Amino acid sequence: MSLKWASVPLFLLLSITSGLCGASSFENTAVVRTVELGGSVVHVTTTYAIRALENNLKTYTIALGKEDRAKTSWVEVKVKGQDNTLPFTERVEKHLSLFDVTLPKPLSGNKTLNIVFENIQTHATTPWPQTAAQNEDQALKYTTDLFVLSPYSTLVQRTKLRALTPRFISWAEPQGIDAFVGDAAVTKNGANVVYGPYKDVPPSTLDNFLEKYQQPVTVHYFHEQPVLEVRKLNRAVEISHWGANINIQDDISLYNAGPKLKGHFSRIEHQMQGYNKKGAPHVLPALTLGLPPGIRNTYYYDTIGNVSTSKLRVAPLPPKGAQRSQYSILELRPRYPLLGGWNYSFTLGWDAPLESSASYDKKTGTYIVAIPILTPIPGAVITDEELKIILPEGATDVSYVTPFPALSAVMGTHVTFLDTVGRPSITLRYKNLTLKHAQEIYVTYKVSTLAHIKKGLTVATALFTLFVLAGVARRLDFSINRKKKVQ
Amino acid sequence: MEYDALKTLHSSLPPFAPHIPVGVLPVLALVLLSTTFVLAFYFSTLPKSTIPAKEVAVASTASVLGGFGVVALFCTAGVYV
Repeated sequence: MSLKWASVPLFLLLSITSGLCGASSFENTAVVRTVELGGSVVHVTTTYAIRALENNLKTYTIALGKEDRAKTSWVEVKVKGQDNTLPFTERVEKHLSLFDVTLPKPLSGNKTLNIVFENIQTHATTPWPQTAAQNEDQALKYTTDLFVLSPYSTLVQRTKLRALTPRFISWAEPQGIDAFVGDAAVTKNGANVVYGPYKDVPPSTLDNFLEKYQQPVTVHYFHEQPVLEVRKLNRAVEISHWGANINIQDDISLYNAGPKLKGHFSRIEHQMQGYNKKGAPHVLPALTLGLPPGIRNTYYYDTIGNVSTSKLRVAPLPPKGAQRSQYSILELRPRYPLLGGWNYSFTLGWDAPLESSASYDKKTGTYIVAIPILTPIPGAVITDEELKIILPEGATDVSYVTPFPALSAVMGTHVTFLDTVGRPSITLRYKNLTLKHAQEIYVTYKVSTLAHIKKGLTVATALFTLFVLAGVARRLDFSINRKKKVQ
Repeated sequence: MEYDALKTLHSSLPPFAPHIPVGVLPVLALVLLSTTFVLAFYFSTLPKSTIPAKEVAVASTASVLGGFGVVALFCTAGVYV
């Protein structure tokens, strides 16, 4: 006798299968997913209010669908209200990503906890329409899965999509989910589009649930800020012990990932927009960056040459150990405003005193340097970064720790001024970086005094060679007529 | 060493201090390079002898002073080598 799915009440069926899967250890009393819609960066915060059904439970599993996981570049799990993050391990099962989070304390029966699962998605929105004239609006589309996945049953869940401005063009109506809907499947109030609340959702990681109910929903909204993407960032950090200096140089390829420009660029219209203070939302006339405090010798140039349309206000260097430090503000104005689909590549670099970034451990003779991974550009995603750390010549015992793993790490040699064998360099590659990734790498190395002095001795050797050549040259006779000795 | 442990160690250690303070470097560059120039001139006036002991002595001091003078000059000019 074949079992007909449609003849068995769905919740009974799924509770049997969930019991078999061992998904009865927790119950989600409420799940709220807040999606903050942006341009190139979308911030998704999911809060799980969990209740333990058994005693002594140590791990809680969070599920993420395949498309959502592919777009995610930052994952952080915390207990609501606390600052420290919870450790988790990720595994892939069929086409779902499961995060096993270790709870701070084992949870006993009927105790509740609120877990906040934060992730940042990059390249998640697409401009729609894909072209826009200079004075037209910019609209983006964002697609996500309707239900928040969880291997445990959920009493009530909702998804809230929040845009910066309350201007939505359309949002998808979910189909075939009447079993869970209370009042309405989707509502819009103000700048929020809310899918839910959906009641009594069974464990949603099971295949039959996913096939029957899970569906993508697309939201189409106006976005008032340019969608920025740094396609390639090459950051070179060079450390000098003779000059007590750390030089950071960024080669940035900036791209406006908004709707491509339709028609031509009219300079007159652009001037009028600037004059009326009513700029088009997808045009980027200027960019403000926060650089470290206490920098000097800042340079900003592109392929044509130096760009003078910039303004830098340097923040004073705080004493070492001070918690708060201000940013130096740099307002960059590229040579031309960045319209949709336009590129702009430039180089930005500065020197900073090495005392602000490096420390010395006298007992072991090692230097520790803190190297920032990127300069945060608000609202932008860095698609590809290559970070090259160049240590002084003769550095030994080089090791480093990173706050999050890099795609690849290569040790090499970099040759520059007054070098003999070259300087040790570490090249790290990253992908899809956002503001949350703006942390520091710590590098430790040793430089012996002889290796330090070697630079001066190298130049001394070169000069001595010149002296030897001079000594030989004075002993040679180059006169055409040799003077005859008087007999 | 683990990330957080290294981070706290870094914040507790004294900051980097160069062997020669950076403010001294321009003065040092001037002094060393002018001495090198004088010694090179003196080298050019030395008599030629079979065992060039004096020439080698003057040349080696001039080149060592000049070597460090050039490094100090690079740092003064902003090329932090």
